[in-house]
Amino acid sequence: MKNLCTPHDHLFSRREWLGASTVGAASLGASGMLAQPAFAEELRKNDKQVLFIWLDGGMSQLESWDPKPNTTFGGPFRAIPTKVPGIHISELLPKTASHMDKLVLVRSLSTKDNSHSAGVDRIQRGDPKNRGVTYPYLGSAVSKLMGPCSSGMPPYVWIKPMSGGFITKDAGFLGPKYGAIAFGDGKAPENLLRPKSVSLDEDLARNELREKLDKTYRLARRKESSEASSTVFDMASKLQKRIDLFDQSKIPSKDLERYGSTEFGRHMLQARRMLEAGVRFVKVTSYGWDTHGDNFNGHLSLVPKVDMAFSAMLEDLQQRGMLDNVLVILMSEFGRTPRINGHFGRDHWPEAWSLAMAGCGLKKGLASGKTNKLGTAVEGDAHDIGSMFHVWFKALDIDSSETEYDNQGQPLPIANEECKIISEVLA
Amino acid sequence: MNRFLLRSFPIWFFLILILRQSVAAEPSLHEQIDALIDAKLTGKVVSKQADDYEFVRRVFIDFVGRIPTLAEIDSFVANKALDKRKLLIVQLVNSPSYSKQMANTFHIHFMERLGDNAEWMKYLEESFKKNKGWNVMAKEILRGVNSKEDLKGANFFFSKRLENYGQNPVDYSALTRDVGRLFLGKDFRCAECHDHLFIDEYKQADFKGLFAFFQNAYLADAKAGIVGEKLTAKKMEFMSVFKKEKKEIAPKIPGMAEVPIPEFKKGEEFLVPADPKKKILGVPKFSPLEKLSEQLPSPENADFSKNIVNRIWFMMMGRGLVHPLDLHHAGNPPSHPELLALLAKEFSAHQFDFKWLLTELANTKVYQRSSKVDMGKTPEALALFATAIEKRLSAEQLLASILVATGRYGKLERKGGNEPEMPDALKVKFAKAFANAARDPEDEIAFSLKAALFLLNDEAVLGLLKPEADNTVADLAKMKPDNVMIEKAYLAILSRKPAPQETMDALEFLSKPVSVGEIGVKNLVWALLASSEFNLNH
Repeated sequence: MKNLCTPHDHLFSRREWLGASTVGAASLGASGMLAQPAFAEELRKNDKQVLFIWLDGGMSQLESWDPKPNTTFGGPFRAIPTKVPGIHISELLPKTASHMDKLVLVRSLSTKDNSHSAGVDRIQRGDPKNRGVTYPYLGSAVSKLMGPCSSGMPPYVWIKPMSGGFITKDAGFLGPKYGAIAFGDGKAPENLLRPKSVSLDEDLARNELREKLDKTYRLARRKESSEASSTVFDMASKLQKRIDLFDQSKIPSKDLERYGSTEFGRHMLQARRMLEAGVRFVKVTSYGWDTHGDNFNGHLSLVPKVDMAFSAMLEDLQQRGMLDNVLVILMSEFGRTPRINGHFGRDHWPEAWSLAMAGCGLKKGLASGKTNKLGTAVEGDAHDIGSMFHVWFKALDIDSSETEYDNQGQPLPIANEECKIISEVLA
Repeated sequence: MNRFLLRSFPIWFFLILILRQSVAAEPSLHEQIDALIDAKLTGKVVSKQADDYEFVRRVFIDFVGRIPTLAEIDSFVANKALDKRKLLIVQLVNSPSYSKQMANTFHIHFMERLGDNAEWMKYLEESFKKNKGWNVMAKEILRGVNSKEDLKGANFFFSKRLENYGQNPVDYSALTRDVGRLFLGKDFRCAECHDHLFIDEYKQADFKGLFAFFQNAYLADAKAGIVGEKLTAKKMEFMSVFKKEKKEIAPKIPGMAEVPIPEFKKGEEFLVPADPKKKILGVPKFSPLEKLSEQLPSPENADFSKNIVNRIWFMMMGRGLVHPLDLHHAGNPPSHPELLALLAKEFSAHQFDFKWLLTELANTKVYQRSSKVDMGKTPEALALFATAIEKRLSAEQLLASILVATGRYGKLERKGGNEPEMPDALKVKFAKAFANAARDPEDEIAFSLKAALFLLNDEAVLGLLKPEADNTVADLAKMKPDNVMIEKAYLAILSRKPAPQETMDALEFLSKPVSVGEIGVKNLVWALLASSEFNLNH
């Protein structure tokens, strides 16, 4: 199992790295590594990361990645050409169209659940074969398989509207430590901020002493527990040093203009800063996509917000050289029905829908798979979510045909073994 | 005849003498335990026995639910009696705090943070106070429909699990799993839809047979936690997802016979017919729960005894003889099979007497070993029990210990001679920071970022460090010179004296400009409280 942050082609060999590091490797997998600053910088650049954008409720494929203008179910919007000749997407995504050369679309998704309550779970857990265990969400899975990045920042962060907290249910059988830290409306989690009663110098001094106590404690004992304690305190301090990540006032107004001064725009901008800070897996959720009524006005209002923030994100990642390391995924739990209901809405539709992705390990400027003329069914190979999990793991250099979880002695595949990888989307 | 007896008298006499002697020489359980553990330790790195400080801290956490106070440490260390450990164990097991601590431990263990209930806690506490046998307690808990006032709390194990959350249906599968896991040590989760794929002896029929006991149980009154049973008139049908072949099963405990389902004439099925107008629940003549409560906790059911002694061993020693605790099967044998068999046999022979078993376990060398190994030595595998295994502190134990360490404990209100109640606001905060999520067993040490941030920055913790009348920080701040103060801080918080190097480290810390006066003392106390040593039962 590959659980080191460093890819094979890393500048420093593992041996050199371990030799140079003065701090012992910690115990969260083989992952809680603490590198010296200069190396950390170098390692960080090579850490593979994930940005997972979740449009909760179900974005319509017809009003986004797979438009069918001038057909029975096509709706009022046009399709526009993109930077890649031959690929057309909805006119609601003009900015993203100009970044099509960085994107891969998958238009051949065909999944199983058409209810939200089960669908969100099913999709984010990769719909594995039922073995009576609860599988982890993608974020927890990546957390477990890859650990935190060399930055030492928490590995799985979730930026979402409303409340935050420590969300353990994502972790499934992996156990709560692989859950998400949720930043409700992008705000810091409880107790992240040092109270005024403790000065920064005091905080450093008391933690230095605590760390000394722990080192003394483990001199003559089994090391695992006290090392785990050191790791979480270290993670806390790393996160505390980045309180700026939660300070909305520090965001340059120019950035806000580009991402859109909407909730989603702010959250995406914060996600970019989290990626830059070295968080392994960042999830951003946008709610309100369940457009059973007035689907078209709904998408007319929602999609442009995504278009702005998503295209700005692609631009920034590209400009910073991060697209080679960051896997970007934008999706929902299902698409929406081609048939337009009596309320001008579209209902839940897992039969034939689309997602967009970009970044490490993937081809660029590709639309993979297709649906029929009316958009009612996939033509050719249809792909369940399990196939996407194989693709994403591969893009992160994790071999999903070899790697297994060990659930108290029970070996479990990390992605549904009955689903095939989609080779044509991989670089 | 007489003559024969007379003539053979010396032989009789001799025989009786030998018999008497062999009875007297029968080693006690704790000696037998040590012999069985030691048998595997030849040539291994074995830790020394814990010193008085390490021992007194451990035994207080296990039996009182908190670290000892300064006075309690002093009086134990100063005691010169050779059998003072034995005496302390007897004293603690018979103190009022024992029943409270056991109630807490069993609550966490058996309810797995699904919810709290005052009646249930009262039931547990009273049961441990009376030292009820585990067979009796299990019978009461598994009965589920107790109506006697002092047993009502026992129904909570079922009533909580028969609740439905929002629109989700009652999770009968989870209830079935929990009874299998917690009372039999077998997790039949993966045998719900087919025979277990990896564990040959876990059959779908085991799951379904157990499930059949609960299928007709329901929560009659959610507020009062009253459980009712509907009629069970026929066997339950099931089918494997692999082999589509119809099967049926009556209620059946794994390894035991099916419970025959009696037939009644129509209209005669009920002992008490339901009367919705008077709000009277129907009580069927045939109650699967009654059968379950009679059959499962019986000495004939080997799984029942093995499971509980393994869990008690885990609570005391930090790891089950069978580990994980709910995977008893041939492919996961106990680390010490004879020992597990011995404990199960003896516990059953002693009417499942907890105080007796815990006293025996606490008197073993294995319980009293240090968690340290000699410098330069690597500790052996956990399953050898050559070195004491660190144990997790529950949120409740941690809260009580922090209150002792910060000198707040003595000021809490107490009823009678009992341990005081913890302040509710703090209980909630500590549970939020340190307890696992519902259904996630607290069977391993788990340091979390959430808990670290809580210790670092939460006012609930920092507030305890404010120097106030006679609390630890105020007392220490008055103490001179610093090395005396440091020794007192170590004793109050880590329940031991500092090593010379540790005193030097603390002195260096206090000499920093940022550590002037009370602030330095406060942060020294904080560092000790936040250390892994304090946060573990080592």
